[in-house]
Amino acid sequence: MQPMIRVENLTKRFAGLTALKGVSFEVKRGEIVGFLGPNGAGKSTTMRILTGFLPATAGRVAVSGVDVFEDSLEVRRHIGYMPENNPLYVDMRVREYLKFRAKLKDVGRADRKERIDDVLEMCGITDVCHRIIGQLSKGYRQRVGLADALLGEPDLLILDEPTIGLDPVQVRQVRQLIRDLGKQHTILLSTHILSEVEMTCNRVIIIHRGKVLVSSTLANLIKPTIEVEVRGGPRDAVQAALRSVPGVASVRMEACDDERVRCVLHPKPEADPTEEIFETVMRSGWKLRELSRSRTSLEDIFVQITREEDEAEEDRLDQRRSLLR
Amino acid sequence: MRNVPTLLRRELNAYFASVLGYLVIMFFLIVMGVTFAVIVSYLNRGPTQLTAMKIMFSMFWVPSLFVVPPITMRLLAEEKRSGSIEMLMTAPVTDFEVVFAKWLGALTLYTLMWALTGLYVLILHYFSLGVASLDLGPVAAGYVGVLVIGQFLIAVGLLTSAMTKSQVMAALMSFALVFMLLIVVNWMTWLFRGETALRMLGIAIPLDRFFKAVSSFDQMEDFARGLVDVRPLVLYVSGTALVLFLTTRILESRKWR
Repeated sequence: MQPMIRVENLTKRFAGLTALKGVSFEVKRGEIVGFLGPNGAGKSTTMRILTGFLPATAGRVAVSGVDVFEDSLEVRRHIGYMPENNPLYVDMRVREYLKFRAKLKDVGRADRKERIDDVLEMCGITDVCHRIIGQLSKGYRQRVGLADALLGEPDLLILDEPTIGLDPVQVRQVRQLIRDLGKQHTILLSTHILSEVEMTCNRVIIIHRGKVLVSSTLANLIKPTIEVEVRGGPRDAVQAALRSVPGVASVRMEACDDERVRCVLHPKPEADPTEEIFETVMRSGWKLRELSRSRTSLEDIFVQITREEDEAEEDRLDQRRSLLR
Repeated sequence: MRNVPTLLRRELNAYFASVLGYLVIMFFLIVMGVTFAVIVSYLNRGPTQLTAMKIMFSMFWVPSLFVVPPITMRLLAEEKRSGSIEMLMTAPVTDFEVVFAKWLGALTLYTLMWALTGLYVLILHYFSLGVASLDLGPVAAGYVGVLVIGQFLIAVGLLTSAMTKSQVMAALMSFALVFMLLIVVNWMTWLFRGETALRMLGIAIPLDRFFKAVSSFDQMEDFARGLVDVRPLVLYVSGTALVLFLTTRILESRKWR
């Protein structure tokens, strides 16, 4: 089965700025993928290229097997897009606007009214369908944008920061809506709100400075961890002892001073060596100060990865500078 | 071109959703109405070769200069500024459909305004019944002239709107261009009166005939007399085709940047 989106080596240069540097990823049918990255990472640019609004400088982009550059019109027929800042015509009424958009998206006359009623209901805006868009609150406007994206019954939904500017109640509602829609549509959404990705997506693509750093399911990315703090043992001995515990995949030293040694362990998949760790520490005669289980949050991973990338970038720049001297 | 009616309907709604559509028509009718009244009182003094409508049509440059920029300035500049151009261009519509529909929308408004001056024709007809006959041929030809020139100027206004995000800039540019196309070209006919030819590369280019051929004032005079010359029709229609093509290219040029 063809992937819904296939991006190969996508590069985008604006005057003086390379926004995307060889981005490659795939989105399979039925997935809800979160495009995660700090501001300026290239998320919106990628989405604009996917929807045919901007062209790529290099690389290939295909949606449902159709190349976006070659047949942009066909691609647009299968996508429901909600851009950042959701620019709507503020002088039209909600129903009027949706009718206009439905006609553009070739929703047949016979189905049109029913389709509009359906999306109004799906997005919870049936009550405001006669109001002028300019008079609606941001939350309602966002929903109108979402309703518009759904009008053509698209296979693929591309949502750029769908919950931005909404209040917490509205955010929850939109996220629930996205989860529900995910059952029948493929969704690519971009955000810099990490908890949003954790709550709605099954896969995440982390992008930073125009490069894809990580592309993986959440399960693979968020690993359980065990934190251990021990007193009375020399650093190397403690580390070796912990490593020897069956079920422990890796040990990382976090902090140590004369008295205490603190480590973060990753257990092997499906293993829970908590009790073995306790026994190992006791047998060695050390004092156990802390033994706790947690999951690395996406935030930690995100900060760690982007920091690593920033440091790598700094190194590259330093290398170049030293070569020039 | 399937989406043009939908887009056209949206444009017309937009003109009348805000005050702009009404304001422009109001201004136009005030100016033309007063002009008409002045013309009629002037003609009351005695018999002349001139007709009221002939004089009316010779004033065509006033509404062109002051109506075309306001109705065209928002067409693309506002969409670009508000970002709604992104919604438009990511729907399954072509760039040309968008340009054509916007042009057609402005032209419809422009035609509507001039159609309202048909009232003056009715008035003339009513008061000339049994006294003198109102020759409708030149009147119709005059309207043809006004529309043909107008559709070209609207295309020019749309072009300027495509070039900037600022409606004010678009209005200023289209005002300047319309001024040059109508007034300055007409001045050129006075500049090059008589046997003035430019000698370039051994060829004599008859500038006086050239400017006389492209001068909208001379063309309008012919139309108002009832002379529907195909040559200015071809000039303006092909001019519009060129300008709409350029506008489409400019819209597409976001793809090159």
